[in-house]
Amino acid sequence: MSAITAEQPLQEAVKDAHHPKESFFRKYLWTYDHKMIGLQYFWTALLFLFLGGGLALLVRYQLAWPNTPVPVIGHLLPATVAADGAIIPGGYNMLVTMHATVMVFFVVMPLLIGTFGNYLIPLQIGAGDMAFPLLNEISYWLYFLSGIFLLSAFFVPGGAPGTGWTAYAPLSAVGAYNGTQMGQSLWGVAIFVNGLSSIAGATNYITTIVNMRCPGMSMFRMPLSVWALFITAILLVLAVPVLSAAAAMLFCDLNAGTSFFRPAGGGQPLLWQHLFWFFGHPEVYILILPAMGLTSDIISVFSRKPIFGYKAMIYAIIAIAFLGFIVWGHHMFVSGMNLTLSAAFSVSTMFIAVPSAIKTFNWLGTVWRGSIEFTTAMCFALAFVSMFVIGGLSGIFMASTPVDLFIHHTYFIVAHIHYVLFGGSIMALFGALYFWFPKMFGRMLDERLGKVHFFLTFIFFNVAFFPMHNLGLGGMMRRISDPPIYEHLKQLQPLNQISTVGAIGLGFTTFLFVWNIIISLRRGAKAPANPWHSNTLEWTVPSPPGHGNFPVTPTVYHGPYEYSVPGLSKDFLPQNEKAPKHVKLEAH
Amino acid sequence: MNVKNPRSLRCGPVSTPRGKPVLTAATASLRGGVYSLLALGLSFSTALAEPRTDNLYWAPPNFTAGGAQIDSILNFIFWLTLVVFIAVQAVFIFYLVKYRRRKGQPAYYCHGNNVLEIVWTSIPVLIFLGLAIYSNRLWAELHSDPPPDALQVNVSAFQFGWDFRYPGADGKLGSVEVDKISNENKFGIGEADETGKDDFTSTELVIPYGRPVHIILNSRDVIHSFYVPFFRLYQDAVPGRTISWVWFKVERPGNFELACSQLCGTGHYNMKAPIRVVSQEEYDKWFAGKVQAAATARLHEGTPPSQVAAK
Repeated sequence: MSAITAEQPLQEAVKDAHHPKESFFRKYLWTYDHKMIGLQYFWTALLFLFLGGGLALLVRYQLAWPNTPVPVIGHLLPATVAADGAIIPGGYNMLVTMHATVMVFFVVMPLLIGTFGNYLIPLQIGAGDMAFPLLNEISYWLYFLSGIFLLSAFFVPGGAPGTGWTAYAPLSAVGAYNGTQMGQSLWGVAIFVNGLSSIAGATNYITTIVNMRCPGMSMFRMPLSVWALFITAILLVLAVPVLSAAAAMLFCDLNAGTSFFRPAGGGQPLLWQHLFWFFGHPEVYILILPAMGLTSDIISVFSRKPIFGYKAMIYAIIAIAFLGFIVWGHHMFVSGMNLTLSAAFSVSTMFIAVPSAIKTFNWLGTVWRGSIEFTTAMCFALAFVSMFVIGGLSGIFMASTPVDLFIHHTYFIVAHIHYVLFGGSIMALFGALYFWFPKMFGRMLDERLGKVHFFLTFIFFNVAFFPMHNLGLGGMMRRISDPPIYEHLKQLQPLNQISTVGAIGLGFTTFLFVWNIIISLRRGAKAPANPWHSNTLEWTVPSPPGHGNFPVTPTVYHGPYEYSVPGLSKDFLPQNEKAPKHVKLEAH
Repeated sequence: MNVKNPRSLRCGPVSTPRGKPVLTAATASLRGGVYSLLALGLSFSTALAEPRTDNLYWAPPNFTAGGAQIDSILNFIFWLTLVVFIAVQAVFIFYLVKYRRRKGQPAYYCHGNNVLEIVWTSIPVLIFLGLAIYSNRLWAELHSDPPPDALQVNVSAFQFGWDFRYPGADGKLGSVEVDKISNENKFGIGEADETGKDDFTSTELVIPYGRPVHIILNSRDVIHSFYVPFFRLYQDAVPGRTISWVWFKVERPGNFELACSQLCGTGHYNMKAPIRVVSQEEYDKWFAGKVQAAATARLHEGTPPSQVAAK
C-alpha cells in the first residue's frame, strides 16, 4: 500500500468503497491508516491507564494504612512488592517508580500525542494521511514493545526498578546500590525504545504539518490543536534523544562497566540529573501543550466564540517551548549544583510562568460574552483551565529558590505535578475524548453518564490531591513508604487517609468512563458528521471518516474559529466554506 | 541520656498566615503532655522528637534565623497566589454563569484585543521579575560564607544512615578528601592531616542553639539529602563531592529528626538520625564527654580517629 496523500484522495476513497473487507490483521494490527493507528494508541494507553492507576492506588493505600495487608489483591502481588499481602519498603519504591513511568511515558504521552496527534493532524490540516504511514505504524509498535520491556521488569529476579521515574544515579547506575540490576536495565531499554517511538512519531508530525496542508491552510489558519502538537513534536525531537542517550549510558554503567555516573570510576552523578532534566523539563511541556491546544478548540466551540487572541496563544506556545529548554536547572536548585546557576535558572523559571498566564487569560477572554453550552467535553475543558491555574500557582512556590529549600522533594511537588498532569492533561484528555469520540467511532458518548463521570472525577481529584499541598508544607518527604515513623508526620496521617479515599474514588470513577465507552459503542446514538457545529475540517467528513479522509481535497478560506459571525444564518462557518460577500470576517 | 523536652516543639498557639490561632494553648499543652507520656512509655535510648501539635494545615514551627526569612517569602507567595487564585476563579465562574447559553443571546464576535494582551503579559512579567529578585537576594544571603565562629560538623550519609564528625579539642575539623571516603574511612580523612587526629564521631547531631552551625556534607554511596523541615533546610549529599555551603543558626532548643529526602534505596524510608538542639552549657558538657571518650579509645586501641565510634 502506498502512502496516501492529499493529492490522491478521491481514487482512494472510491477504492475504499469497493474494497473487499481487509483482514483483521491488516485492519487493526498492521495498518497504515493514521486514524486506526491513533486508535491503537488509544486502546493500549487506556489499558496502561488502569495499570498505572492501580499502581497509584497501591501507593496510596500504603501511605494511608502502612504495612497492613492490601485488601483483595494483596496476596496476588509479586514477592518483590509485598509480603503476606502488605507492601514492603522496596516494593513501595517499585510501585512509585512504575506508576510514574507508566503514567508519563505510556499513558499521557501516547494519549495526547499518539492518539490525538495521529487522529487529528491529517484531518485538521486537510491531508489524506501522515507523510510516512509505515513509520507511523512502526512508531506504535515500538511503543507497544517498550511497554512489554517495562512490564517484564516486574517478573525478573530482583523485581522492578525502585529508583523513581527520575532514576537518579548512582543509585540507578550500580546494581549493588539498587538491588534491581535487571529491572533497572529493562527500564533503561524501555525508555530507549519508547524514545525511538516518540522520535519517529514526532518526525512524522513535523513533516506532515509542514508539507501536507491542504490549499488555503496557511500556518496561521491551523487550529490550536495542530499548533500545539506541532510545537510538541519539535520539543520531542530535540529533547527525547537526550533521554535516550542518558538511558543508554545508564544501561552501560549497569551492565558494561562504564562510569558515566559513578564517582568511583571518575563519573559524575550530577551529569545524569542534567541530562535527565534537560529532557525532563521540556517533557513537562510535552505533556501539557497538546492538552492546551485541544482545550482551546473545545472551549471556543462551546462558547460559540472565536478563541481570544489566536496569535497570542501561538506565540505563548512558542515561548513556552523555547523557555522550556532553559529552565531544567530548577529541578536541581538543591542538588549540589553551582549556586549561581540556581539563581539564573530561578529567573528563567519565573519567566516561563508568563506564557502560561497569557494562555489562562485568553481562555477567560474566550468564555467572556460567549454563549456557553455545558457539554461533558466543555465541563472537562473548563475544569482543565481551573485546575491548571492551581497547578501553575503552586509552581511559583518552587520557583522561588529559598522556598524550594523548604518544600523541595516534599508532597508539595507531588501535589503540583498532579494538578498539572491530572488536573491539567488528564482532564483535557477526557474532554477531548468526549469531544472527538463521535468522530472516531461514529457514536455519541452518553452525556448523562458523562456528567456523572465529570463531577465525580472533579470532586475526587481534589479530595485526592489537594491535601498533598498541606502534607508537603508539613514536611512529608516524597517516596517514603511509612510516613508515621517520623514524629513530625504522625499527626498528618488523617490527611494521607483523606487523600487515599479520594484516590480510590477517582480510580473507580474511571470505570464509569469505560462503561460509557462500552454502552455507547454498542447502542449510542449515531454521530452525525458535525455534532458540535464545529468549524475544523475533520467535521466536514462522515463520522468516522473513510480511508483517505477527504473525498475531495478541501480548500480552506479562513481561520478555524469563525463562530457567531454577525450576518450569518448559522453561528459557525466551517473552514472550507467561503463567507458570503456581505459578511466581513475579522482578521486575526 | 533520655533528655526530654516536651515543650520544645510546641510554641504556644501557632498562628496561621490567616492570623488565627488554630489550637488553643490548653489543647496544645494537653496534646503535648499526652505525646510526651507516650514517648516516655516507648522510651528509646536517644532523645525523641515530639509529634507536631500545632496547626497541621501549614508548615511546622520554624527554628532557624534563615527559616524565618524563608517563611516570609513563603507567606508572601501564599498571599499573592491566593489573591490571584480567587480573582481568576471568581471571574471564571462569574463568566460561566453569566454567559451560559440562553435563547436570543448570541455570543459576541470578537477575536481578541492586543492592548489587553500587552497588559496581561506585562503585569505578570513585572510581578515575576520582582519575585525573582526578592528570592535571589535571600538565596545569596542564605548561602553567604558561614560566620567564622560557626561550629563545623562533617555529615556523612550512607545507605541507610548518618554519621557525624566533630572537631575535637583543637576546635578544627579535619579536612575531607573525597577520593578517600569509603566504608573504612567514613569521612575521608587524610593520613597526614593533623587537625583530624582529635576529631570524634557521633550517631546523633547535637548542636547548641544561638551558634551558627556549618555542615560539611558528604555521601559514601548514592545521593542522599539532608532535610530538616523545622530548619527549612534541604541539601543533597552527592557522592564524589563535598557540599560546604550549608550553614544555619538554630534559635531555640528542641529535638528533631534528620530525614533523608532523596530516594536512596530500600531503606530510604527509615533513614533518619536524631538531632538535639541544646543550650551551650549542655553542649559543652556533651562535648567534653565525647572528647574524653575519644581520647581514651585512641589511647587504648591505637585506632585512627576515623574509626572511633561514638559510644
